[in-house]
Amino acid sequence: MLEPSNAVANFPRRDARDKLKGQTRYTVDGGRPGMLHAALLRADAPSARIVRVDASDARKMPGVRAIVTAADAPGRHGIGIADHPLFATGWIRYDGEPIAAVAAETLAQAQAAAAAIIVDLEPLPAVISMADALAPDAPLVHPDWRRYEELQQGGARAGNVAWEATVVRGDVDAAFAREDVAIVESVFRIGRQNHLSFEPRAVIASYEDGRFHIETSTQVPWSVRGATAKLLNVPPSQIRVTVPAVGGGFGLKFDCALEPFAALLARAAERPVRLVNSRQEEMRTCLCRENAEIRIRSAVTKDGEIVGREAVVLMDCGAYGGEQIFLTTMTAHTLGGNYRLGAVRLTSRAIYTNTAPNGAFRACNGVYNTFALERHTDEICAAIGVDPLAFRRRNVLGDQDIGSTGQVFEGDVLGPMLDRMAELRDARPSKQPMAGTRLYGRATTVGTWFVFVGPSAATVNLNADGSATLVTSGVEIGSGSMMQALPQIVANALGLRPQDVIVRTADTDAAGYDVGVGGGRTTVSLGAASMAACADVRRKLLKIASDMLEAAPEDLVLANGRVEIVGIKGSGATIAAVAERAQRLVGPISGSGSFTGPGVAAMPGCATGHFIDAIDIPVFAVHECEVAVDPETGHVEVLSYCVVQDVGRALNPRAIFGQIQGGVTQGLGYALHEEITVGANGRIEQTGFETYSVPLAQDVVPVEISLYEGAPSIGPLGTKGAGEVPILNVAAAIACAVSNATGRRVQEIPLTPPRVLALILGGGAALELPHISPSWRDNVLTGPAPLARAL
Amino acid sequence: MPLLLRINGEDRTSVSDPMTPLVDVLRDEFFLTGAKVVCREGFCGACTVLLDGRPIASCLAPVGLAAHGEVATVESLAREGILSPLQQAMEDADAVQCGMCFPGMLMTLSSFLAHTRCPTREDVKEALVGNICRCTGYERIVDAALAAARGADVEGR
Repeated sequence: MLEPSNAVANFPRRDARDKLKGQTRYTVDGGRPGMLHAALLRADAPSARIVRVDASDARKMPGVRAIVTAADAPGRHGIGIADHPLFATGWIRYDGEPIAAVAAETLAQAQAAAAAIIVDLEPLPAVISMADALAPDAPLVHPDWRRYEELQQGGARAGNVAWEATVVRGDVDAAFAREDVAIVESVFRIGRQNHLSFEPRAVIASYEDGRFHIETSTQVPWSVRGATAKLLNVPPSQIRVTVPAVGGGFGLKFDCALEPFAALLARAAERPVRLVNSRQEEMRTCLCRENAEIRIRSAVTKDGEIVGREAVVLMDCGAYGGEQIFLTTMTAHTLGGNYRLGAVRLTSRAIYTNTAPNGAFRACNGVYNTFALERHTDEICAAIGVDPLAFRRRNVLGDQDIGSTGQVFEGDVLGPMLDRMAELRDARPSKQPMAGTRLYGRATTVGTWFVFVGPSAATVNLNADGSATLVTSGVEIGSGSMMQALPQIVANALGLRPQDVIVRTADTDAAGYDVGVGGGRTTVSLGAASMAACADVRRKLLKIASDMLEAAPEDLVLANGRVEIVGIKGSGATIAAVAERAQRLVGPISGSGSFTGPGVAAMPGCATGHFIDAIDIPVFAVHECEVAVDPETGHVEVLSYCVVQDVGRALNPRAIFGQIQGGVTQGLGYALHEEITVGANGRIEQTGFETYSVPLAQDVVPVEISLYEGAPSIGPLGTKGAGEVPILNVAAAIACAVSNATGRRVQEIPLTPPRVLALILGGGAALELPHISPSWRDNVLTGPAPLARAL
Repeated sequence: MPLLLRINGEDRTSVSDPMTPLVDVLRDEFFLTGAKVVCREGFCGACTVLLDGRPIASCLAPVGLAAHGEVATVESLAREGILSPLQQAMEDADAVQCGMCFPGMLMTLSSFLAHTRCPTREDVKEALVGNICRCTGYERIVDAALAAARGADVEGR
């Protein structure tokens, strides 16, 4: 029997030393003999018909070895809908869309040749905002949307509505018609967020023995394999993806990106090809966290019961559906999370615009939906005159409560977490004196997120020297999961020291399928697959040891690198000796294991167009902050920040603290100053670190952290993913605190000084979103399913 | 004409054009890939190296300006496999995540600590105004720098 607590340790990360010495080789540091350099020709228009692309002169330029265009990549890929070609095909749909790729002896030669390709475009009207896209008679971003292959069934689609997911549970009309309720309505608008991972998207590809070898900076080696195959119209088995250390991801690298361009060029040039985005290209085509617009309405009784809720969430997917198609699912669990609801109906719509495609970003749509939900909750409290903390304590999801899609939650988690936050608050003095003459505000917010489980595979080889090699497709993106949690899990299962567990870097030729590193799933899904592989190894190891030691396998324990007979210390042998004996007698010991989400049940008929109807592992967070707002400049200073986070079991508490400090900091940037704007020409106006401001050392405070352990989890050893969720309710906490400080309704983030000043001075008109009809039904393509209506 | 450089205590000769950014010469010609190209605009600090002991953004400095000067990169900090006290403090604090900013952070802080006795927390944060980290939220980097400074103060006594 394994003792989970033995796996807990502040095991240091083994990659720290080389990273500190400047020795780590990221993809951008790689090189191969004879390697060519590649550049992309990108469109300088948001919407146009392609009249002509002529590369004949460019091909003759010095150093040029290959040029590829749309004709070389016939396929389309996507998540949910295969709407995305590799190169613009027929039409330009966003500023920065690739038209051609060039490989040459030097980068300068590749860039010169790309610039020499002749492109004739006929400009077309563009839809830049979601309001544009939803206007009557708006031009369609994809006029032939009906002809695209659907990779997932069930989402409603029409014109610029790329995907619509709805939830209907209970009789919402009846709830809003009750005489004993107050009706509170709020609208919110949220901008995009750029990951700004320090290593840009980068790849080195080669074509060897009839197969592509793609070395890339990605979180999802298997998605890269699959999407590249689809785009190039080759069998996936012809593609091998390997991943060195990744210099930051945060979701940016959760999709196929530059890899197919480099692969095509490598095959055409018969040389390895390197393609790296410049920072300007990263800014212009970043798969940002999407901008969103939200209308939410609630019917609440005087004593604070939420009897009805309805909401419409518009998510800008940009020119192609991508991740947002999937993320429409999450609104049910984020905006529809946190609280017990009577009747509920939600619609979440991914909208096509002629702007750069958006993507995944740490806690994806959770951050803005939590901002909207928590601000709305405070507006409810103000309307009915209830204390916001008491309201939350009363209404948060608890044991056996049902969520929006009817899933039954297990365990009281959020309530006790709020109590823990109250204890922490009482234990330390308020920072209000630090605010001086500025406006002071405090807020406490709750958040619901999930661990994105799904398939993972692992192989564990027990070596005759007593070490173990763990082979998975997991990628180390900086979070430390592959360096800390996984070796700790394997070591605990096999009675080894974590430093004796070798973790193989990702290689799709070596390890089985994996969804990828993201969604808080590394420790959970790869950890569970690794545990299963270890069980296989243990069984084989104990069989040999049993013969060797003349004891029944169930009387043997693995600990400290030894196999011992229970209760008799020193009676056994080293694991190395047993492994060596096994190798001689029956061959080397190896185990394999796999895992996927069990699929928690939802209420049939509630959810339409969802990729998952219920969340296998909910994760909760409670955040509290104090702010000081300068009434003369609009500057917001964060005075204190405190997090209580549901982690299941903290395998490496020190590493989790690091994730929380970093995640909160990213959230502070999102809440306060990271702003992406799109010009009338459809181009993202921020081009680098000068115009896109991320938090600096001086902007940050040390986060006070309390890990809440023991909530139910199907994760190995009771774990939940801990790296994704720290950003979840930062914008919510800051916005509620600023609202409390200023006495104004905060409806938009980021809370830049001009925006805060406008709030304080009361000059700005309240936000209105006329393209989201106040009548919920006007915002859905499909009516609720008959079964759900009856519930 | 070849450029004579002194990099990490060694005389080196570069065949690059004198206007080539120093970071490209370090990375592409001498395979010192510690310094990172992240923004190429002098804002992020990941390419920071020391020129005659002063931190500079090597993406903006033409290599010609470094001729006859002393260039020190992150690769020079550890000696014979032993981490510098600052590097060791970073490892001890579990400060590293993706690691891309650390080569620049370490050079800025090495120079800062060499010139500052008993720095405060605010001093360290101010010194990092030109070095961005997207992963860690800074506090552990600051903790490590202060720990290294305390160690140096203890040794200096």
